[in-house]
Amino acid sequence: MTGYLLRRLLGAIPLVLGIATIVFFVLNLAPGDPASIYAAPTVSAETLEQMRRNMGLDRPVHERYLRWVGSMVQGDFGTSFSRNQPVRDVVAQLLPNTLILSGTALALAFMMGILVGVLQAVRQNSWVDRGLSVATLFFYSMPSFWLAIMLILVFSLYAGAVWNWPLSFPASGMISVDHAFMGPWERFLDRIRHLVLPAASLALVLAAGIARYMRGSLLEVIRQDYIRTARAKGLPEWKVVVKHGMRNAILPIITLLGLYLPLLFSGTVVVETVFGWPGMGKLMVDSIFQRDYPVVLAGAFLFAVMVVLGNLLADLLYSLADPRIRHG
Amino acid sequence: MILAGALMLTLMACQGTDPETRPIQGLPPFCQEVLPQVDAFLGQEEQPTGDRYGGTAVAGGIGAIPDGMNGFALADYTGAQHMTFLNLMTLIQVDEELEPRPYLARSWDVSDDGTELTFHLRQDVFWHDGERTTARDVAFTYLRATHPETGFPNAAFWDRYVAGPEGVQVLDEFTVRFRLHPHAEFLDPWRAMPIMPEHLLGDVPPAELAQHPYGTRCPVGNGPFAFFEHRPDASWTFTRNPAFPPELGGPPFLDRYVYRIIPEQSTLHTELLTGEVDIQIAPPPEQAPRIIQAPEARLLDFDFRSYAFVAWNARQPALSDPRVRQALTMATDRGEVVEALLGGYGEVANAGVPPFHWGYDPTLRDTLGYDPEEAGRLLDEAGWVDRTGDGVRADQAGIPLEISIKFNPGNQQRRDIAEIMQAQLAQVGVSVRLEVVEWATLFEQITSPGDRNFDGVVMGWVTELKVDDHDLFHSSKVEQPFQWAGMEDGELDMLLDTLQLLVDREEAIPFWHRYQERLVELQPYTYFFFPRRLAGVSSRLRGVEMDVRGEWVTVADWWIPEEDRRDRTR
Repeated sequence: MTGYLLRRLLGAIPLVLGIATIVFFVLNLAPGDPASIYAAPTVSAETLEQMRRNMGLDRPVHERYLRWVGSMVQGDFGTSFSRNQPVRDVVAQLLPNTLILSGTALALAFMMGILVGVLQAVRQNSWVDRGLSVATLFFYSMPSFWLAIMLILVFSLYAGAVWNWPLSFPASGMISVDHAFMGPWERFLDRIRHLVLPAASLALVLAAGIARYMRGSLLEVIRQDYIRTARAKGLPEWKVVVKHGMRNAILPIITLLGLYLPLLFSGTVVVETVFGWPGMGKLMVDSIFQRDYPVVLAGAFLFAVMVVLGNLLADLLYSLADPRIRHG
Repeated sequence: MILAGALMLTLMACQGTDPETRPIQGLPPFCQEVLPQVDAFLGQEEQPTGDRYGGTAVAGGIGAIPDGMNGFALADYTGAQHMTFLNLMTLIQVDEELEPRPYLARSWDVSDDGTELTFHLRQDVFWHDGERTTARDVAFTYLRATHPETGFPNAAFWDRYVAGPEGVQVLDEFTVRFRLHPHAEFLDPWRAMPIMPEHLLGDVPPAELAQHPYGTRCPVGNGPFAFFEHRPDASWTFTRNPAFPPELGGPPFLDRYVYRIIPEQSTLHTELLTGEVDIQIAPPPEQAPRIIQAPEARLLDFDFRSYAFVAWNARQPALSDPRVRQALTMATDRGEVVEALLGGYGEVANAGVPPFHWGYDPTLRDTLGYDPEEAGRLLDEAGWVDRTGDGVRADQAGIPLEISIKFNPGNQQRRDIAEIMQAQLAQVGVSVRLEVVEWATLFEQITSPGDRNFDGVVMGWVTELKVDDHDLFHSSKVEQPFQWAGMEDGELDMLLDTLQLLVDREEAIPFWHRYQERLVELQPYTYFFFPRRLAGVSSRLRGVEMDVRGEWVTVADWWIPEEDRRDRTR
């Protein structure tokens, strides 16, 4: 097992480096240069040239590449052009925010999705199944930005300013401005309150998809002979479904988990933007538009690492769920 | 579900900031050193008392302040406002009439020949860490800003100043003298350039000033508000500077001021209506009616320093005739555009001199009004006639009058302008092709002197309080990036040169008026409008006045009645 892990991780190194290299050269092929965001009639050509020098852009591409790889191996991702801070600091400040949001959303999505999917499969063709099918399709086909804005409209604007519900949720940010003046428990609740709408608008869409997969997969398993055997043994129905059915039906869901895991790092641009959530998704998009190469490269690198880890985790979970899959 | 548990722990572990002592662990060493000094100095100053003192005001805007409170880095509009009105100080400010008034400098004098400018500084201004602000800080700011290695983006501020160490002389602790070449707006740089602390940044190599942690992690200013905390992409928090000189209005009323970054306008709007945000910076015009109706907010509108236009590339044969460019303008109903796109919050523009500028010529307001017939006549005159009956004009050789208008994606207003032009020009027989080009690429296409791959491009300029179009239209700049129009006109050159030298406004006004007339005749741009800037302000926040100087010009006078303050913020 350790040998397998080691092999997989070693094998990932060239993959991650390859991805980073491709991104590096693609970025450098794209038109426009980072100094041009500073260009204005009042900025002289010499000043722009000096800025390029200060950013290290006056060197030839291959030299920049080697220098970048060299410092990256030592954990130094350079300095962000547009934010005038070390990339490491920028990422260190924003990554935890994204982890909180996407992590909550993923956990919620898988819990809700599996639950709904199982319920539907067990009660196939009942009105519960039909109702939930409509609901999941409704959310599945909904663009997340629209859902986000609707949630804000109902649970912030109307609940807070029009209907005066006892419970309304803040439309943006991670904490209130008076967070610093709260007690520990209040602070915790304050964070949860801010998390509800963005996490819900991410999770609902994901959960809808997961539920569809879970339903289909469990329905297929439930028709198998060994399930009939289990029932024939006289096992209670919940045991048949959970212990015998789920174990096999969960495999496609594990694949989904591996696919969604990079979301933890990349965040989602749309939800972060709509809810003013200071995270990685928005950072990456801003950086791409501003040609902030060091940030984009660091982001691409971390994203590649997450994809590799997500796949690895999924493979390991397979072997837990299905003893026939063993990694020697 | 281990994941969920882990998250709970993360949430619990996220320590908030204690209102009295800020966390400094994790900050760069420089900040760990200076921030405790700031806390110590501000902590021992006596806080003012009175009904109006107290509370937290929150402004929300879509833009972050990426470069922080660093006068040596490029400042976006919001950043510049926070530097000059909150955290730092400029030597002078301008009053409602845009006339200079003392600020950090209590007075100044100019030698008779206009080549020596001496500032006498206030002696009661302290950096937030307790050091006194002196003439050395002013000289340092000037020397670093003009140092080539700094890469200070607005180096053109100093074009009329004698560069380098010969240009500046510290006469004593509070007196500093500059040498300059006579110029009409010689004081203006000192309104815009915040003075930076020499005792903290004096040892930093110029090339590293822009990236120094000072700007984004721990700025130490000397203005009415001291830096407290910066959460990237989320918020900037400032607290009252109790040591701010009484003669300049004394300490501000607010305990705290927070600038929140909320990138989506409709979310920001919701936050204004639910009371989470006290000021919505620059709401789009379509939200204006809602703000006016809301009992908890009011709408302010004021002059702004920007204008939108379509620049014509007169180097292209089809656009080389000024009559054609005039026709394009007259065939476009710009008054309708102001109504449709700005909800009436704006004014049709005919030249790049905005209405708040003393040289603005109001008599030009109605020139080049919507007149498709006259536009058609001008095009006929220029030799563009519909020869085949297909609705598109062509010249004698049969080449059709087809132009392209480019714009960048992500800016709905520019797209709308281009589309309206396309539809309206089709009615006078001009075929317009719209091209959406990603910003960085578009920028390269229009600014590369050898390339200039465009006919028309939808753009906007943000001006200073002064106007200097030298780089846009002077023939000596025709091979420079920003002479998009390709103007080479003797009279225009003369006007551009003269305007920058006339110190006496009475004497200058005829030249300013003629300059605007000449732009109307030449039509290097189809000027669209001068938009008015909007702001949604919560009704609990008092003392808010905004004008062309910016949203934050009266921030030290903002106050909140005690009963309306957020309950937990003392």
